[in-house]
Amino acid sequence: MRWLLLLCMLLPSIASAETVVLIPPGSAPAPQVAAVSDLSITAPEDNDGLNLDLAWTSVEGAFAYAVVRKRPDGDWVLVSETLPSGSDSFGDKVTTDAWEEPPAGTYDYRIITLAELPPTRADDITDAERIAQLQTLGLTSATVQGTPEASLVRTQMGALALMALILGVGGLMLWFTRQARLGKPIEIRRIPGIDAIEEGIGRATEMGRPVLYVPGIDELQDIQTIASMLILGQVAKTVAEYQSDIIVSCCIPIVREVADEVVKAGFYQAGHPDAYRPVNTRFISSEQFAFCAGTNGIISREKPATNIYLGRFFAESLILAETGFVNKSIQIAGTAEATQLPFFIAACDYTLIGEELFAVSAYLSGDPRLVSSLKASDWVKVVCVCAIAVGTITVTLGSTWLQELFTIAGG
Amino acid sequence: MRSTIPLIITFFVGLFMVGEFFIPHWRYRIWTAELLEWGLILAAGAYMLGLANLIQVNLPKVMKKERDWGYKAVMLVSLVVTLFIGFHDGQHRHDDGAAYKWVFEFVFTPLNATMFALLAFYIASAAFRAFRARNVEATVLLVAACVVMLARVPMGEAIPVIGDYLPRFMNWIMDVPNIAARRAIFIGAALGAVATGLRVILGLERSHLGAD
Repeated sequence: MRWLLLLCMLLPSIASAETVVLIPPGSAPAPQVAAVSDLSITAPEDNDGLNLDLAWTSVEGAFAYAVVRKRPDGDWVLVSETLPSGSDSFGDKVTTDAWEEPPAGTYDYRIITLAELPPTRADDITDAERIAQLQTLGLTSATVQGTPEASLVRTQMGALALMALILGVGGLMLWFTRQARLGKPIEIRRIPGIDAIEEGIGRATEMGRPVLYVPGIDELQDIQTIASMLILGQVAKTVAEYQSDIIVSCCIPIVREVADEVVKAGFYQAGHPDAYRPVNTRFISSEQFAFCAGTNGIISREKPATNIYLGRFFAESLILAETGFVNKSIQIAGTAEATQLPFFIAACDYTLIGEELFAVSAYLSGDPRLVSSLKASDWVKVVCVCAIAVGTITVTLGSTWLQELFTIAGG
Repeated sequence: MRSTIPLIITFFVGLFMVGEFFIPHWRYRIWTAELLEWGLILAAGAYMLGLANLIQVNLPKVMKKERDWGYKAVMLVSLVVTLFIGFHDGQHRHDDGAAYKWVFEFVFTPLNATMFALLAFYIASAAFRAFRARNVEATVLLVAACVVMLARVPMGEAIPVIGDYLPRFMNWIMDVPNIAARRAIFIGAALGAVATGLRVILGLERSHLGAD
């Protein structure tokens, strides 16, 4: 009787003990499904050394799978508990911390086959407690061990093809630059939208009204914003030569800082540094529609004669362009954002489509070295058109080698 | 020298960042993440300059009571009030009942939605101009747009005889000519982006380096 009383007193403290012992693989109190029996692990190729791929044959009757991992320097942790019943693979990233050096050694993995829906996880429960809870709802596989392998260079065909493309553009660019230096003329087709930029600046000068330049709403590292900054330099130079005025409306503060330097450089190069006004390069707001409202205010109140929208735009594109239309400004737009192009085409006088945006600065500068880069990308385009034609034929005939050549797995 | 050092930095940093795609090793990614972090810090610092620019542009116009000075005064007062309550509420600014959250939910969000809602009217006016059958191309655009719009609403399918064919025709328009045009734009833009990137990395483009 005394022993029974002692047991009753001890039971609650045993139940609330914090140490949880993981149930050994292959055993569980209420197994209603089989454990995963053929779990395998591989380190993917061309990898950063942080990934491991698990594969198994899905178990009949399984409700879901949970994946648990043990790092060389740690305890078992729950990686995923929501893999659906038909799952037969899982790719794990051993660390999601971009700054962490992953611990060297082998990583242990187990799969818990769950027979039923697990209860919602409480906020204060540890991973070890949750794993123990899940193990009571199914069976645990044997442990497999794997070591992530970091590759020094990507060797996939797709990556090599991309490397060849970049080197091809670079090589052709240098070749045409050399040709230009030797005095051979490089001809490129006229682009009415780019020619209209100078006409628009001339119109603004005649009307005594400013030119409005909007470099999109994306960050400085976006290639369209970079292209827009390069164009702004040429536009500012032309504006200064015409002794007109330019207002630059920016959505991102660092873009404003760069735009300010670029406009200043344009005015200096044109020999009119005194005409440069820093207050005309304006930060409006980093919020999309607040920026849109502010820029609309500039269009409505300061009535620019010419509006130039070059860069990356989203939903504000049509609001800006329609306000400019109502204001009777000449409007020139350019973007590589396919979803916004129809709006610009409908509302603006001239629209630079996709690649034309990236050609503007070279075209406007007239510098043979820059124009040669357009020639280079044109030739690579010819190669792409040929590859598309050959690819269409080979895929129709049942061969996928060309398709695989341009496929880059894992981004 | 003022432009040579930035050109050298651009060349090496540009190559280094391009290398991230071809060198997947985690240690390389830590270095590139470090560089990107520097970029983020610079961008965050630029917000202070943006704030200074806002005041520099707008405050003199309010002080001199220039044309439309009232709008600028509203903007500056809003800026100061939002900043003040943001700093006052500190880390609790997103909590229920916080003044900052109230401003965000009941002032900023409705104003934002109002601007977005204007888009509906602008789409109507732009579509009216774009869909006028002035020439063959505009007529093709008009017919294609009518087919797509009709097929996307229940009324389209209810049209006798052609109602059954409209969704199929719409799918063909969206999947064949539309996708073909979009892919052409993407390929051209990607090549243009590569050429622009190389021009900057190789130092052929210099207008972004500012004034000497």
